Amino acid sequence: MTGTLWTPVPQAVDDTELLRRVEVLTFSGRAPLAQQSLDLLGAISKAIFASPLARSQPQYAALAYWLRPAAIGRLCEELRRRFERGTFIPAPRGIALHLPPTNVDTIFVYSWAVSVLAGNCNIVRLPSDLSQGTAWLAGLIATAIAEAGEEDRHLFCQMPQDGHLIADISQHCDLRMIWGGDAKVDMVSRTPIRPDGLSIGFPDRKSLAVVRTDAYRAADEARRDALVAQLFNDIYWFNQMGCGSPRLLYWVGEPDELAGDLYRRLARHVAEKGHLTETGIAIGKFAAVNDLLAEGIGVEAQRFSNALHIVTSERPAAMLHQSQGGGLLGQAIVPSLVAIAADIGRKVQTIGYFGFDKDELEAFARAIAGRGGYRVVPIGQALQFDILWDGIDLLDQMTRRIAIRS
Amino acid sequence: MTVLEECLARPAYSIPSEEKEALLTGAFNELTSHHYEHCLPYSRILDGYWHGARTAASLADVPYLPVSLFKLRRLLSVGEEDVRVTLTSSGTTGQAVSQIFVDRESSMMQQKALANSLMHVLGTKRLPMLVVDTDAVFKDPRMMSARGAGVLGQMRFGRDHVFALDPALRPDVAAVRAFLEKHGDAPFFMFGFTFMVWASFYEAFRDLGLDLSNGVLIHSGGWKKMAEKAVDNQVFRASLKDAFGLTRVHNFYGMVEQIGSIFLEGTDGLLYPPNFADVIVRDPETWDVARVGEPGVVQVLSLLPRSYPGHSLLTEDMGVIEAVDRGQDGWMGKGLRILGRVAKAELRGCSDVIAAEAA
Repeated sequence: MTGTLWTPVPQAVDDTELLRRVEVLTFSGRAPLAQQSLDLLGAISKAIFASPLARSQPQYAALAYWLRPAAIGRLCEELRRRFERGTFIPAPRGIALHLPPTNVDTIFVYSWAVSVLAGNCNIVRLPSDLSQGTAWLAGLIATAIAEAGEEDRHLFCQMPQDGHLIADISQHCDLRMIWGGDAKVDMVSRTPIRPDGLSIGFPDRKSLAVVRTDAYRAADEARRDALVAQLFNDIYWFNQMGCGSPRLLYWVGEPDELAGDLYRRLARHVAEKGHLTETGIAIGKFAAVNDLLAEGIGVEAQRFSNALHIVTSERPAAMLHQSQGGGLLGQAIVPSLVAIAADIGRKVQTIGYFGFDKDELEAFARAIAGRGGYRVVPIGQALQFDILWDGIDLLDQMTRRIAIRS
Repeated sequence: MTVLEECLARPAYSIPSEEKEALLTGAFNELTSHHYEHCLPYSRILDGYWHGARTAASLADVPYLPVSLFKLRRLLSVGEEDVRVTLTSSGTTGQAVSQIFVDRESSMMQQKALANSLMHVLGTKRLPMLVVDTDAVFKDPRMMSARGAGVLGQMRFGRDHVFALDPALRPDVAAVRAFLEKHGDAPFFMFGFTFMVWASFYEAFRDLGLDLSNGVLIHSGGWKKMAEKAVDNQVFRASLKDAFGLTRVHNFYGMVEQIGSIFLEGTDGLLYPPNFADVIVRDPETWDVARVGEPGVVQVLSLLPRSYPGHSLLTEDMGVIEAVDRGQDGWMGKGLRILGRVAKAELRGCSDVIAAEAA
């Protein structure tokens, strides 16, 4: 079987050649947070910003923003302080294999970028069925890599997911990042990597949002519209299919007419943004809404527009399991923030909030500790990439420590 | 006499739109209440989305379920012990299929209603029947499918059946010639699936000089594969006329979820709902009733489904009502044209499936 290697234009490559190129990576790691690594990411940020696509697709703008030198610089400063505290020399882990999800088409860049900062050499598997955006982004990155003369340190390629190639490459890997559904993480995890390697799975996660009713009531028009714009980003950037996209919104305190106010604003904002809901998606959501009601998971449902269906649930934990995207939002009403804790399981990833202070959020985080939930962020940051992901410190996992004792 | 019986007692496809609206609305309200009382999931849906089992002021006001719900869950308004037949839709391998639960009474009414529709174009006497298919489709258990069931269902409306194709779907010219020799001088019945009629019959027999001018062809199955051959209904009809003198051609539109209720093609080429059924086309953005001539998503209503809550369904077909009460050759009510399936939309995200990845 043959793969396609982006060098920087996509070129067919046979298994032997690909494996040879992987082997070459073995001792090519460099120190974490090296200037060349920072420069490479900075060049990519600049190239994305320079493209009109970044302006039309907010997820690309967010990526460029995350990669820009000032942001990476701040992150590095924080990380350097961490390194300085220890009696060790930070080192890259070695070769990292990234298996990103199919359609949240910026994850592969984040996963790779942190690994670049860690000083690793990388193999990134691109989906066989590339969306236009992903193809553009992969091409842009491969070009930046070639221009930086780093093409022998980073391989972006398309290859079969279930063949022996992934298994063969895994044999060389010190680190493997598996992003995707439970079944994919499970399947890939059965393939061993180097005995001293580390394989990390990022399986299915579901996310939610929490709004304090009093805070929403107190918010003026401008504040409410600003919140709705943030909520729009969280829900609609990846058509609600990102792990961090909320599927359920809790009101802490009886919202009465405020709920309708929020949803009408949201539906209006979606329309203003020109977000299109295909008829097939709208019908699929209508079927999902009917199914949730028929099952008794939803007790009431309302369609605000084709882009927004709201299902009120008295069984929010069950509501969280539904996987229909495209703007199907459950809602539940609870008396307090900590009351939500009972609904939180291992599958919950991000909790977006509005109207809570730090003490309340910390009390909440303590209440969910040992259950699930990995990120508590303001509404609007649900899809923002964080070096702490699913409870894991990515840079820590992507580096080694060489202990020095005197 | 129930409204359904009254509808069946009148000439098929003859009730004008306004009269139909007045006649059927009450009966649909009664059906909605019946399902509300007897099907818990249905009552939950009505309570949660439609403000309960209200009395609809018009047919457009009758609550509707998405047709795919029958793929997601078992919905029945009779006890499990009363179910006589469980019908399933033809789905491609690996896809979920609809499950429709039919009791004795519903089954009887379906047969009666179907006969009523077909007799409208076939006459009341059973005609000799040329089946545009192979008998292997129901004789060979390996081939048994929705197609076989469809053929068998139609065969009950004909006699002296002859099959135009052999088990390999090659033309059986001798059999067809013998059939025409014997029955060709008087009305006879032909049935087949649209694509087979075209690809296995028309294309194979067109140059043989067959005279099918006494035939009445009923066909169904959709136009998707026909579109690939760039054949629409007009071309289809014109070609059959040119090659065989076959002019009495009736397509029909129906689905297992409303079995027994067939929208039959009138002499003007449009599809007409039976007396006891109706169609509404909805705007896909607002879901309001689309104006005549405006395309939208097809909703079908039928008084037949009583053992399962399928009397009002939002399909996944796009269509347009081209005419109302045109009255050509007595065909009254709404004349529908089907435009095709709603484009399949797939959302993929973090939780992508391996099948999609491995592709």
